[in-house]
This record gives sequence, structure tokens and C-alpha cells, in this order.
Amino acid sequence: MTKEEVQGATEEGQQGPSKKGLKKQQKEAEKAAKKAEKQAKLAAEHQSTEEDDFAKDRYGVPAMVQSQQKLDRALVRVQDLTPDKADQLIWLRARVHTSRAKGKQCFLVLRQQQFNVQALVAVGDRASKQMVKFAANITKESIVDVEASVRKVEQKIESCSQQDVELHIERIFVVSQAEPRLPLQLEDAVRPDGEGEEEGRATVNQDTKLDNRVIDLRTTTSQAIFRLQSGVCQLFRDTLTKKGFVEIQTPKIISAASEGGANVFTVSYFKTSAYLAQSPQLYKQMCICADFDKVFCVGPVFRAEDSNTHRHLTEFVGLDIEMAFSYHYHEVIESITDTMVQIFKGLRDNFQTEIQTVNKQFPSEPFKFLEPTLRLEYTEGVAMLREAGVEMGDEDDLSTPNEKLLGRLVKEKYDTDFYVLDKYPLAVRPFYTMPDPNDLKYSNSYDMFMRGEEILSGAQRIHDAQLLTERATHHQIDLEKIKSYIDSFRYGAPPHGGGGIGLERVCMLYLGLHNVRQTSMFPRDPKRLTP
Amino acid sequence: VPMYKVKPISGGHIETDLPTCMYKLPNIHAQQGNSCTSEHALQNGEVDPAVRALEARQDEIMRKLHELKAAVEGLAKTVTTPDADLDLTVSSSLSSHSCSSATFKGVTDLDTVLGKDLGALRDIVINANPAQPPLSLLVLHSLLSQRYRVLSTVHVHSSVTSVPPQLLSCLGPRHADSYARQMFQLGFTLIWKDVPKLQMKFSVQNMCPIEGEANVARFLFKLLAPYPSDPALATLVDSWVDTAFFQLAEGSAKERSAVLRALNSALGRNPWLAGPEFSLADIACYCCVQQSGSASAAPANVQRWIKSCENLGHFSPAKLLLQ
Repeated sequence: MTKEEVQGATEEGQQGPSKKGLKKQQKEAEKAAKKAEKQAKLAAEHQSTEEDDFAKDRYGVPAMVQSQQKLDRALVRVQDLTPDKADQLIWLRARVHTSRAKGKQCFLVLRQQQFNVQALVAVGDRASKQMVKFAANITKESIVDVEASVRKVEQKIESCSQQDVELHIERIFVVSQAEPRLPLQLEDAVRPDGEGEEEGRATVNQDTKLDNRVIDLRTTTSQAIFRLQSGVCQLFRDTLTKKGFVEIQTPKIISAASEGGANVFTVSYFKTSAYLAQSPQLYKQMCICADFDKVFCVGPVFRAEDSNTHRHLTEFVGLDIEMAFSYHYHEVIESITDTMVQIFKGLRDNFQTEIQTVNKQFPSEPFKFLEPTLRLEYTEGVAMLREAGVEMGDEDDLSTPNEKLLGRLVKEKYDTDFYVLDKYPLAVRPFYTMPDPNDLKYSNSYDMFMRGEEILSGAQRIHDAQLLTERATHHQIDLEKIKSYIDSFRYGAPPHGGGGIGLERVCMLYLGLHNVRQTSMFPRDPKRLTP
Repeated sequence: VPMYKVKPISGGHIETDLPTCMYKLPNIHAQQGNSCTSEHALQNGEVDPAVRALEARQDEIMRKLHELKAAVEGLAKTVTTPDADLDLTVSSSLSSHSCSSATFKGVTDLDTVLGKDLGALRDIVINANPAQPPLSLLVLHSLLSQRYRVLSTVHVHSSVTSVPPQLLSCLGPRHADSYARQMFQLGFTLIWKDVPKLQMKFSVQNMCPIEGEANVARFLFKLLAPYPSDPALATLVDSWVDTAFFQLAEGSAKERSAVLRALNSALGRNPWLAGPEFSLADIACYCCVQQSGSASAAPANVQRWIKSCENLGHFSPAKLLLQ
């Protein structure tokens, strides 16, 4: 006993400062209790003054859902609220988008993803005055369960996605309450640039949006963007699978910089260090050497480039393709471009509502393309630029402004936002690029452009260890560092080629957005690691 | 119409002291007076020597034309009448080769029409609506392909959802060398697109788009052969081309039968529409006659001419689409 007491005493002694804290806590608890008591009293008074609330059990804040019971209640989706549901009594769970009390009635707009519907609580034989007051005081963005009857409306409700019906609420319960002060207002976040400036309406800047991404993602625009992005991935997978490609997974922690570049992230790896993969290329190529014939992978790619532009991220999703071909690397170009065209067609045909929604906030011209995709050669591009007054050498790389200009020229002549520029000068491509068989100045490599911005860079790869060694030496690359890469071609490798696309960039350019952060759910750039 | 005579408002003889710091100009009033008198002279029955020279030239041209007509007529009888001994399917490629060299005299240089060679493929882009396939351009394309190394590609623009397969293959099978664009002299890129009017683009910097099938056909034909240097003949070709596209292809039944009658009488005088030589006028009219479906009901001379056209073998790409 004594021993324990002593122990307890020493413990108490050790926790000297926390004793104060304890007291403080106690005091706070007392305070809170008092407050609660006061509130309860107030509420009770409130109730006693307005005793005859006949609709008492038709509204309120029920206990937190802890899965106490499993209700067999069918919830209707907002998007399914159409005139043929008229006069039905339904249950619905949605967010309160806005609420507006007006005398004896309260109008709510209930939102579910990009769909919303108008709802009405009016004093009558179902709802009491108190119920209307309660509904009016529900904070924006709270989640509510609502029982309501669907009514057809005579005049279309222009402000809602469900324009032909409204809900007459009979019961309303708050499932999860939002804090009354939101870091940003949804309607501000979807306001088109420049609009509302005169009326002094707020717009939300990009950083605020990204800092509060959870709320920003609830906006109709964000919902549409990421649904479309999911569509891109889906179409990419479907199209390639149909073409006989195999989806592979490649490691992201690697021992050596795959392209020998300096822009890789170093991570500590037990007693040594490792790198984050800046491209799955080496592994894709190894799969080709391992007879997988045609492969693709969808996964994160890391670039330690300290560039703060509208189109660079330090982590993005790469859609990578690699395939063995029979005789000419144009087979690869055709496969890739056809995949892109199928994606564009799928988006055009199945994601029109999403595209329209994004266009409301960020107007842009519809994305145009040709089938089969237009392929121009580098010399043609240079000739077009020269004709437009640009001075450049035959073997100069295209600068970003020149790429944009060329994009405009091509658009004007061919009216396409997507094209391939083939046969780049060998000097501006990586060492593993296959040189052109007829002219050593050029190479079997290509870039693909959307709205004048590069989205894919690819080439026929050298599949011969000896030629690869030669080219690497020519580029003054330390052969030791890329030994494993060269070695993978020593045991027979089929001719192959491929390329990689950035998912975020494709979405951005397809929608005509101006910042890649808008199409990255939680973007990573040199200045942002959270959320 | 004789005009009123007006006395000069101011006489040309007024002397004024002019400062010497200004340029001196001849008196305009005085000049006017002079020209008036020369016009009077013409009205009085004296003939201006310039007009006389023009008349002489016209006579000379007419005489040459008659000569040509006479010379060709004999030849035409053997060439243009459908030859029963010649099997069309077998000889089409053969005859077209010989004809194209025979028909289009005068060497045209791509540089003169398309501008300086910049060392890259010169690509002609044609936007056409799949609802109205430009038959005449397909014919011109096959003629161009015989003359130059032409890289032909067909695309479908995203504004069009689907295109019948025969429109995708209307420029023939893909060239075996199509992977190397630099190996071609000329690009012919046909894009099926939702356009109200056919459109051709070549150089976006130096040239505005050319609209309408007739105009594009004229442009393309110039790559094959220069237009007749004789303005009268050139105008005749032009007028037939317009007649074909405005009255045959788009006109009412009444207009169409009027054109067929006109064709018939023109073809009674000459083997081809614009005289002794096969020309753009024949290409345009043939295609429009076929497209409007009036070939079977055409009068005798037109029927004969249709057969002659078909014997040339240039029209097989258009025929394929008509079926």
C-alpha cells in the first residue's frame, strides 16, 4: 500500500505542471456545463413559450449516425427528380446549398454533386412556424435528410439543375452540421473570371481554393472536371485493353535516375538513398524485352523541377504506353493517336454535360480533332513557322512560344487541336532515340500537341546495346550509371517505341483550362505539399 | 448616247502668276478640252487606230480558231467517238496515261502557282461536307496524281460523327511511301467536315481560303495546265464551270433541262465543251450531270460526250462514289 502511495506521490510530483492543466480543464468543463445548462434552460423557455409546436417531431438534429439501426429507407438521387416522380413522397439526403426564409416559408436549394433542386418549407398543416425557422437556420453545406413530396412547377426554375420540379418538405433532419463560417463560398468559387467584378462580388483566388480543396471540390466545376478525368482514365484503359495491351505496374522507388537526368527526388532508403521514378520508361522497355508485346501503365510520376508554371507539377499521373512494332515506328504513332482519338470521341459523346458545366465558368472553344490524326514532319513545322516570320535553324528545338504559334498555324490550316509532329532533330532528343535511317540529322521521334501545348514526347527506342552505348558516349553519359539499362537489350529485344502522357495536362488542355492545378485533385508543386 | 455639250467653265488661257517654289502641273482644263475634241472626232466617223488594231487581232484569232477546229475535227472523230473495240476496264489506266499527256499541253510549274518551295511538303487542305462529295475535285486529284507525286490523305473532322466508308477511301489506296511526307511534291489532304461551303486552304499566311467547289477546281486545274491564254476561251471555260455548279448541281429541274439543251448544242459544234480540247469545263459539267442524275435523260450529243469522257478514264474515282 505504502509503496503504491509513494509511487502515486512521485507521479504527482512529476506531473506537477499538468496538475494546473487539470484544474484548468475542470474549470472549462464547469464553464461548458454551465453554458449548456443555460442553453438548455433557454431552449426550454423557448419551447415553453411556443409550446404548441405540433410539428415537433418533424424536424431537428437527431443523434449522430453511429449505425444504430439499419433503416430500409430508399433515398432518391437528386438527378432522378423528374416530372414523372410528381406527387410522390420521397426521402432524400443532400446538402443545403442555400437557404432563404421569407415570412412563413423558407426556400432551400438542396444539392447533390452537380445536381440541385429547389425545396420549400411553408407553414401549413405539415410544418409549423418553428419548423420553418429551424429550416432557415440550417447552416450552408450541412447535410440533411428530407422527406418531401415532389411537385411539378409551372415556371422552370432556372437556377437549379432540376428545373421542372420542386420539393415540398414534410420532414427535415440535420445529419451533419457545417460550421456557420465557410472559408469560401461555393458560388464565389464558380464565378467566371471577370464577371461580377463591377458589382463588387468576390472571386476566390487559386490558393484559397487549393487550401480548402474539400470545399472547392464540391463545386459543380470541380465535380465536372474530375468526373471527366476519371472518364479519360477509363477510356484510356478500355481502348488499350481492346487493342491487346497489358496493364503493368512499375516500381516508383528506383535505384538510379532512369533518364540520367538531375531532376529526380532523392529519398532515404535505409542506409543508402534511392530516387522517385521520373518515368516508368525503363520498366516499360524491360517488359517489352520480356515479351509482353504491348504494355501500358497508369501511375504517379515525379519530377524535381523547380518550375512554377501553369503546366508543371512535381507529381502527376502518367499514362504510359510502350509497344513492340513490326517494321515501322509509325505503327506506334498510329496506336497512340488512335487511343487519343478514341478518348476524345468518348469525351465528346459521353461527357457533354461535364464539358458544358466547366465551360460555364471557363469558356473555351470545343476541342477539335481529326481522325486519323494529322501527322506533320518537323521540317514542315519549321517551314510553317518561317513563313510566319520566325527565324530558326533546321536543328533548333521548338521554344514554348514557337510551339504555341505552330499550334495556332496548324489550327488555322487544318482546324485541329491535336496533331503529331514527327521526325525531330536527333540533337534535341535523349540518347536512347533511334536516329533516322536516311538522314542522321533527324530521328524517329515525335511529339504530340493539344491546343499547341506538348502532351506527349515519344520515340522509337534504340533496342541494340551496341548502338545504345555509342549514342550514350556521344551524349557524354557515364556508362556505369546506365549499365543496367543497356544490359536489358543484350539478350535480344524487339524493335519498340512508346510515349507517356500527363493525365492532368490532357484534361486541362481538352477543357481549355489555363492551369494544371485545376485538373489535379491535390496538386503538388514546388510551393505546395498540402493538403 | 450623246451627251450635252457644256462650255468650259474657265478658259484655258487665263494667265496667273505662280510662285516658283511649287511644282508646275499642266493645266487640267486645257487637257480636258483636248480629249473632248478627240472624242468628237471618233463620233464623226473616224476610227481610232487602237480599235482597228483590236479588230484585226480578233479577226486573226477567229481565223486561227477556225483553222484549229478544222484540223482537230478530223482527229476528234477518231478519238472522241466511243470505240467499241476498246475494253474500258482494261484500258482505263493505260488510256488515262496517254490521254493526260495528250490532253494537257503546256508545262505548269508548281512554284508558279503555289509559290516558292520552302523545302517542306506543300499541302493543299480541302474541307468538304460528306453530304456533298466534291466529285470534280476527286477527278482532279487523280489527274494530279498522274502528274506529280501526290501524298493523299483523308481525315474526318470531329464536327462529323460518321462518314460512309467509300468516302474514306475516295482518294484511292494509301501510297506505299506515305510514311515519308518529304518524298512528295504535293499534299492533297481531304477533310470531311461540317462546312456549309467547300473550302480550300493552302498557305494561311499568304492566301485566304478559297470557297466553293468551282473555285477550288479552277485552282487545282491550274496545277495541271495553264488556263487558255485566249481570254475568250478562258471565259468560256469559266462560264461552263459556273453553269455546271450553279445550274446543274443546285438548280431546279427547269434550269437543269435548259443547261442540258445548251450542252447539247455546244457539243454539236465541238467535241468538247470549250472547243477542241478537253478542259476543266468538261470535268465540271460531267461531274454535275452525273451528280444531278440527269445523265440517262440527256440528249444525244451529251450522251456521246459522256461516253467520250468515260473513255478517258479520268472519272473512275467519281464513278465509284456515284454507285
